[in-house]
Amino acid sequence: MSGFLENMSVGLQVAFTVTNLLYCFIGVFIGTLIGVLPGIGPVGTISILMPLTFGISPTSAIIMLAGIYYGAQYGGSTTSILVNIPGEATSVVTCLDGYQMARQGRAGPALGISAFGSFIAGTIGAIILMFVATPLSSFGLKFGPPEYFSLIILALSILSYLAHGSMVKAIIMAILGICLSQIGIDVVTGRLRFTFGIIDLQDGLGLVPVVVGLFGVGEVLANLEESTNVEILKAKIKGLLPNLRDWKDSIGAIFRGSILGFFLGVLPGGGAIISTFVSYALEKKISKHPEKFGTGVIEGVAGPETANNAASSGAFIPLFTLGLPSNAITALLLGALMIHGVAPGPFFIRKHPDIFWGTIMSMYIGNVMLLILNLPLIGLWVKILKVPYKVLFPLLLLLCIIGSYSINNNKFDVFIMLIFGVIGYLFRKYEYELAPFVISFVLGPILENSLRQSLLISQGDISIFFRKPISMSCLIMALFLLLSPIVLAKSRRLRKKLG
Amino acid sequence: MVWFVLGIGICIGSIKLKLGNFHTPGPGFLPFLSGGSLALFGLILTFLTTRTGLGEKEDEKDQRELVHWDWKRLINPLFTLFILVVYILLLEPLGFLLTTFICLLFLFKLSDPQKWLMPFVLSFTATALSYLLFSVWLQCQFPKGLIRFW
Repeated sequence: MSGFLENMSVGLQVAFTVTNLLYCFIGVFIGTLIGVLPGIGPVGTISILMPLTFGISPTSAIIMLAGIYYGAQYGGSTTSILVNIPGEATSVVTCLDGYQMARQGRAGPALGISAFGSFIAGTIGAIILMFVATPLSSFGLKFGPPEYFSLIILALSILSYLAHGSMVKAIIMAILGICLSQIGIDVVTGRLRFTFGIIDLQDGLGLVPVVVGLFGVGEVLANLEESTNVEILKAKIKGLLPNLRDWKDSIGAIFRGSILGFFLGVLPGGGAIISTFVSYALEKKISKHPEKFGTGVIEGVAGPETANNAASSGAFIPLFTLGLPSNAITALLLGALMIHGVAPGPFFIRKHPDIFWGTIMSMYIGNVMLLILNLPLIGLWVKILKVPYKVLFPLLLLLCIIGSYSINNNKFDVFIMLIFGVIGYLFRKYEYELAPFVISFVLGPILENSLRQSLLISQGDISIFFRKPISMSCLIMALFLLLSPIVLAKSRRLRKKLG
Repeated sequence: MVWFVLGIGICIGSIKLKLGNFHTPGPGFLPFLSGGSLALFGLILTFLTTRTGLGEKEDEKDQRELVHWDWKRLINPLFTLFILVVYILLLEPLGFLLTTFICLLFLFKLSDPQKWLMPFVLSFTATALSYLLFSVWLQCQFPKGLIRFW
C-alpha cells in the first residue's frame, strides 16, 4: 500500500507541474473543441498534432494527447443534444434522448448530466485503471514472442468481428495494414522491401502522414461531398445544473455506465461505441418506463455518456500493460510513445512510473478542467458550432500539411499524406473501416518480430503457438470469432430450410 | 478483385525477396503470408458481393448497396485535391508563406464564391497565425522560397 501511495505522489508531482497542467489544459480544450465540431475526430486531431509533441517530454506529450481523447468524449455530447448530429461516433446514442430533451426545453439538464456523468465516469475509470494496471502488467510478464503473436492475431480478430460493417472488409483492412507496415528496410536482413527504388520509402511509410491522410484529409474530402446544414436549437440554454429528480433518475445509470464502459473499453475495436449502445439497452431494460426511452428521458443520456468516458480510460489498460492498442487512438498513442523512445509493455509501469502515474493523475485534473470547460463555457461551444464547415476545412487541411511536413521537413511525407487522403476517402465511400488498418499498421512490425522470434526459438516448429497455453487460448478464440459468422449463417439457413 | 490482384502482387514481390523457411524466416516470409491472405479474402469478398450470406451478419445484407457517384457533388473534393497537389508542387519554389496564402485563398473561396475580400482576410490571418504558431513559437522549419527575409 505504501508503494501505491508513493506512486500516486510521484504521479501528482508530475501532473501538477506548470508545464504538464498547461499541456493537460491544451489537450482537454482541443478535445472538447473537436468533439463539438462534426467533421473532425480525435484520431485525425491526435495524428495532426502528434509531430508537434516531438519537441516536448514524452510525459507532457501523452498527457496532452490523452486529454484530447477523453476531452472529445465530453464535447461529442454537445452536438448530439443541441443539433442531433453526433460530434463523435460514441455520442450517437445520446442523440436519441438528448435531442428530445433539448426540444422540450431541457437542453440544460441534458448537457449538465452528460458533463457531470462524464466527470464521474472519467474519475471512476482513472481509479480502476490505477488499481488494475499494475497487477495486469505483472501478468503481462508471462508473455513471450508466441503469446504476443497470438494476442495480436486475437486483437485483430476481435476488431474485425466487432466491425460496424462487413467483417470481411474489416479483415482485409487489418491485412492491408500489416502489408503496408512491411515497406522499408527489413531489420533482420537489412534488405529493402517494396520500396521500388524510392529513397524516401527506405524507412517505411511514416505513421503520421498515413494517419493524417486517412483520418484528416480523407474525412475533409468526404465531408466536402456531403452538404449538411447544421441547425442549432435557438432556445436559450438554462438550468445546466440537474435538479434532485434528475440526479435520482440518473445516478444509477451513471454508475452502471461507468463500470460497464470501463470494461468494454478494454476490448479491441469499438469498445467505447459498443459500451454506449449496451448501456442504453441496459437502462431501457431495467427501467420502470422503457416505453419513454427515445422521448427525452435523462437516464438515456446519462448512461451512454458515462459509458463512453469510462471506456476511454479502459482503453489504456492493454496499451500500458501489454503495449497493445485497443483502438485507433491508443494505436496513435503507442506510436507517439515509440517515437519518444518509450516502449509500452509489461515493464512500462516499472520503467516509466513518471509517465504512467503522471498520465493517470492528469486524468483526474483533466476531468475537473473538462467540467469547468463544459458547463460555464457551453455558450462558447454553441458559437463554435455555428462556424460553417467551408471556413473550417481549409484550416484543417493546413494543419494536416504542417503536421505531415514537420516530422522530417520532407515534401514526400505531404505527398504520402495526400495519397492516403484519397485512399481514406475511397475507404469511407466503400464502407471500409479504418481502425483495423491503423492498428495492424502500428502492430505489423511487432507481429513480424514475434513470429520470427517464435520460429527461431522453436527451430521452425509452428506447434510452439499451440504448446503455450496463453497463445493457444488466444488462437482458439480468434478462430472461433472468425468462423462464428459462417457457422451462424449456415445454421440460420438450415433452420429456414427445416421451416 | 482489386484486393486479389494486390495480394498476388505482394506474394510475387515477397518471393523475389526470399521467403526463407520456418527455421529461418526470410524478409519475404510475412509479406508472403499477408499477401496470400489478402488475395484469399479479396476472393471471398468478390464471392460475397455476388452471393449473400457467407461470413456476413444477417443485418448486413440489407446494408450492402452500390456506391453512388454524384459527379456534381465531387466538384468540391476534386478542387480541394487539385489545390493540395498545387501546394506540394509550389511549397519549395515559392516557400511556406506564399504557397499557404495562395492555396488557402482558393480554398476559402469555396465558402464565398462571389467575393474576394473575406477569403483574402481569412487566408491572410490563417497564414500569419500558422507562421507565428508553428515557425516562430514551435520552431518548425519550413521552406523559405521567394520570401527570404523571414
